[in-house]
Amino acid sequence: MNEELSTFFYVPVGTMMLAIAFPAILLPTPNRLITNRWITIQQWLIQLIMKQLLSIHNTKGLSWSLMLITLTLFIGLTNLLGLLPYSFAPTTQLTVNLSMAIPLWTGTVVPGFRYKTKISLAHLLPQGTPMFLIPMIIIIETISLLIRPVTLAVRLTANITAGHSLIHLTGTATLTLSSIHSMTITVTFVTVILLTILELAVALIQAYVFALLISLYLHENA
Amino acid sequence: MLSRVVLSAAATAASSLKNAAFIGPGVIQATRIFHTGQPSLAPVPPLPEYGGKVRFGLIPEEFFQLLYPKTGVTGPYVLGTGLILYFLSKEIYVITSETVSGAALAVLVIYAVKKYGAFIGQFADKLSEEKIARLEEFKQSCIKYAEDGIDFEKEKQAVVQKRHYLFDVQRNNIAMAFEVAYRERLHTVYREVKNRLDYHISVQNMMRRKEQEHMINWLEKKVVQSISAQQEKETIAKCIEDLKLLAKKAQAQPVM
Repeated sequence: MNEELSTFFYVPVGTMMLAIAFPAILLPTPNRLITNRWITIQQWLIQLIMKQLLSIHNTKGLSWSLMLITLTLFIGLTNLLGLLPYSFAPTTQLTVNLSMAIPLWTGTVVPGFRYKTKISLAHLLPQGTPMFLIPMIIIIETISLLIRPVTLAVRLTANITAGHSLIHLTGTATLTLSSIHSMTITVTFVTVILLTILELAVALIQAYVFALLISLYLHENA
Repeated sequence: MLSRVVLSAAATAASSLKNAAFIGPGVIQATRIFHTGQPSLAPVPPLPEYGGKVRFGLIPEEFFQLLYPKTGVTGPYVLGTGLILYFLSKEIYVITSETVSGAALAVLVIYAVKKYGAFIGQFADKLSEEKIARLEEFKQSCIKYAEDGIDFEKEKQAVVQKRHYLFDVQRNNIAMAFEVAYRERLHTVYREVKNRLDYHISVQNMMRRKEQEHMINWLEKKVVQSISAQQEKETIAKCIEDLKLLAKKAQAQPVM
């Protein structure tokens, strides 16, 4: 069991690059207007998600739309592909998620502070707080603002890693139980199936949440 | 682009080449090679209507056809079973927790594809058909717009052919207006002249009448003047006598 847990910390760099690049193969570029079923459904899904995500932005904020679409697709696809047996999900590594979260968060907050300083600082104090609470609130809001990139990265890492760990552990339990008492493996196998369903949902939802939060930070600051 | 930089540098370096700066860009444009062949993507070949046939959703039919001459129908199945058992028994493929998770994923995927596969395919086809319908409608509306324009133009050309009717009617109208004006003026002239002549006639009539009345009055006055008082008394007495006789006659006859 220990060696299987340690696989989450041993990073094979060569296959990691393949794992990050592989989702691009699943997103073909159409060279015609009426495409095959795969591309049609992809286009429909992207339209569905992006309408929700981009409806709050003004014209200047919409220049981020390609970034957000790429983000959603990358995180969603890599999470889903990580669920396959013997595959690797790069989003389980904190390095990958931090290197996505910190630049994106900085890109939303720093221009906001530079060009619209008053509005950005005003976000640190919600409306209608009593006078004596103001110093505390400012400190708390500043800390929460500065900790956002860390939360973005750690949320994604923890969710995906936890899901993978659960599935692996339950799978190992199924194997061990099969030699002890074969009938209980039905219970554990059903658990594995349910966990897989959950993981599929979590994979997609986490991608959406990541992009949504970044678009919210963008909307607040710019 | 670099050659343009070289040419301009050469022009500034040598004063005799100053004219070359004007010829330079034109020469570059003339020697540039443009696309002379067909564009590589058009026309796009049509999409196949059905995908390649597969068995078990993974293995293409061509593999079975490949092995059919040598091993018959059961050949590929025996090969597959043998390979799987070989890998398992020799532990080339080790059963780990990944196997269990892979099995769970396989169960899920097969269930989803069998249950919802056709529905998703129809949904995708419906999306494509809606897109085609929108494009077709736009194309038809463009064609209709052009056809309406053509009909309108033809109509206007036909109308222009019949313009002379309008001009004839207008000409007739104007002629009639002229005629009416001329007749009105003629009638006015006639009336005025008749007025003058009537005036002269009535003046003459009035003069004659006045003369007649004057003469009659003068005659009466002279006659009345000429009657003496004696003659008047005699005439009145005679009239009274006649009236008395008439009254007696009237009394004698009964009133009817």
